[in-house]
Amino acid sequence: MEASRTDYFSLGEPKPDSMKLAVERRRATWLLIAPAFVVLLGLNLFPIVYALYISCHYWMLARPQPPRFAGLSNYQELFFDARFRNSVLVSLKFIVLAVGIEMLLGFGLAFVFNTRLRGMATLRKLTLLPSLVMPLVVGLVWFYMFNENFGIVNWFWVVLGGTRVPFLTQGALALLSIVATDVWQWTPFVMLVFFAALQALPEYVYEAARIDGLSGSQIFFRVTLPLLRPAILIVLIIRAVDALRSLELVFMMTKGGPAGDTEVLPWYLYTTGFMSPDLGYAAAMAVLMLALVTILSQLFVRQLESREVTR
Amino acid sequence: MTVGLVRSKDLKAGVRRSAAAWPIGTLRYLVAAIFTGFCLFPFYVIVTTALKTETAIFAWPPVWNFKPTLQSFYNALFVFGGRSAIFYLINSVIISAVSTFVAVVLGAMAAYGFARFSFAGKRHLAFWILSTRFAPPVAFIVPIYLMVQKAGMLDSHIALILIYTAMNLSLVIWILRGFFSEIPIEIEEAALVDGYSRLQIFWRVALPLVRPGIVSTAILSAIFSWNEFLYAMVLTQSKAATLPVYLAGFSNSMGLAWGEYMAVGTMAVLPILIFTFALQKHLVRGLTFGAVK
Repeated sequence: MEASRTDYFSLGEPKPDSMKLAVERRRATWLLIAPAFVVLLGLNLFPIVYALYISCHYWMLARPQPPRFAGLSNYQELFFDARFRNSVLVSLKFIVLAVGIEMLLGFGLAFVFNTRLRGMATLRKLTLLPSLVMPLVVGLVWFYMFNENFGIVNWFWVVLGGTRVPFLTQGALALLSIVATDVWQWTPFVMLVFFAALQALPEYVYEAARIDGLSGSQIFFRVTLPLLRPAILIVLIIRAVDALRSLELVFMMTKGGPAGDTEVLPWYLYTTGFMSPDLGYAAAMAVLMLALVTILSQLFVRQLESREVTR
Repeated sequence: MTVGLVRSKDLKAGVRRSAAAWPIGTLRYLVAAIFTGFCLFPFYVIVTTALKTETAIFAWPPVWNFKPTLQSFYNALFVFGGRSAIFYLINSVIISAVSTFVAVVLGAMAAYGFARFSFAGKRHLAFWILSTRFAPPVAFIVPIYLMVQKAGMLDSHIALILIYTAMNLSLVIWILRGFFSEIPIEIEEAALVDGYSRLQIFWRVALPLVRPGIVSTAILSAIFSWNEFLYAMVLTQSKAATLPVYLAGFSNSMGLAWGEYMAVGTMAVLPILIFTFALQKHLVRGLTFGAVK
C-alpha cells in the first residue's frame, strides 16, 4: 500500500524502455541510500559486534600483553560486583527521580502555556534554551551555584532561614542536586513536547465531549489524557534513554562521589574502561547497557511505527 | 484541571469564559514568568561570573552589583596556562561544521531514497536507522576507541567528524524524510516527464523545496556535535581537542579558575542561543524525530 503511493517512478513502467528505467531506478536508490548506510554500518553496527568480541576477553588498555580470550568471565564478574550493582541502582534512582519530576512538571506547565494570552509565546520560546546548552556547561554552572561556601543556591537557602548545606558532598543530597540540575535542563523540553501535542488535539473532539455533557475532569481523563498517550510515551522513552546515558553532570559536579552515591552506570563504565583501564570489563557493561537501550528504543520505534500506519 | 482545557478559541469567544479568565490568566502569567525566570537564571550566572573579578566570584553573600571586567575572557584567550581557548574554539567550529555538512548531504540523499523509492526491507532499514539515535556514546566508546586507535586516528579531526556524522545521520534522515514526503508528488512527476534523471530530480527539484527542513536539521546537528563531550574527551588530547575538552580541564584547576571557565562557557553557549532563535519553528519536531509536530 505504501509502495504504490510513494513509488511514483512506476509511472514510467508501461513504456517500451521500461527495463532501462527500472535499472536506473534501482541504481538511483542504491546511490542515494548506500553512503549513509555504510557510515552507520561502520560506526554503529560494527562497534556493537566488536564490543561483544572485546567483552569476551581480558583486554587491558596500554599493556604489552595481547588480549586473552576469557569466555563469559567478565559477565560473571559483573554479576558479583557490588560496585556495578550500586551503579545500576544509582542510575535507576536518578532516572526515576529526574524523569519523573520532569514529566509531571512538564505536563502541568504545558497546560499553563497552552493559551493565546499575549506574551506567552515569547516566554515559551525562552524556556527552550536549557535543552540546547552544552551539558558540560550546565554541570559547571550548577557546580558553582551549589557550592557550599559561595554558591547562590546556598545563599537563597540562608535567606529563607536555613543554614549552609554541602549540597554536593553529602550522601543523598549530592544525587538530588544532580537530579535538580537535570530537571532544570530537561523540563522545558518535556513541556514543549506536551505543548505541541496539546496544540495538535482536534477541537471537534472537545465540542463533542461538551455536547455529551462531560464535566471538566471527565474531559481530562477520558479525552485529553488518552489522546496524549502517544506523546507521553515518546517523551518518556526519549528522556529515559538520555538520562541513562548521560554522564556530563556527574563528571563536572561530583565525579561519582561521595562514596559512590552518584556513581551512575555510565560513569562506572567510563572509569573502568579508561582509568582502570580494563576494556574487556567495560565492554561487558557496555553490552548490557546496549541491550537495555535496545529494548527501550524498540518501544519508541513501535510507537512511531503505529503512528505511521494510522497516518 | 478544567482550566487547562479552556482552549485558546474559547478564551476569545465566550463572554462567560472571558469573565472567568482574568484571575486564571494572571495565574498563568505568574507561573509562566517564574518558570521562565528559573530557566534563564543559570545563564545570568554564567555570564555575570565570567564578567566578575576574582574577589567578587568568591564573595559571600553573592555580589549583585559589580563593575564588569573582561579580565577572565582575556585570561582564557591569551594568558591562561597551556593552549588558548581560541584553539579549542576553532577545532569545535571545524568539527561541527564539517560533520554537519557531511551528515546533511548523506542524510538528505538517504531521506529522499526512503521518501520516494520502494525496495525490499525499506521499513526495517528506516527503523533501524531511527534506533541508532538512542546509541549511548558511553557504550560505544570502548570499541570505537580501539577502532580509532588501530586506524591511527587518535587525536585527529577526521575521527570526530566521522563519529559525529554517524551520530547525526538518524536525525537528518528522519526529519528530512518527513519533509520530502510532504512535497506534492506531481512536481517530481512533471520533472520526470521533462526528461530529468532521478538524481537530477533529487538535486534540482526536491532539494530546493525542503530548504527549511535542511536549515533546521543542520542547526540541530551542529548543536549536537558542538555539545558532544565523551568521544571528544576520550579520542582527542591536544591537536583536535574541542571546547568540551577544555571545559573538562576545570577539575584540574583545583576549583579556582571559575571566571576563566565561565568565560569559555559563555563562548560555548552563546552561538547556541543565537541559533536557537533562528530555529524555533521546527525544534520540537526535530528533537522528537518528527514524532510530535
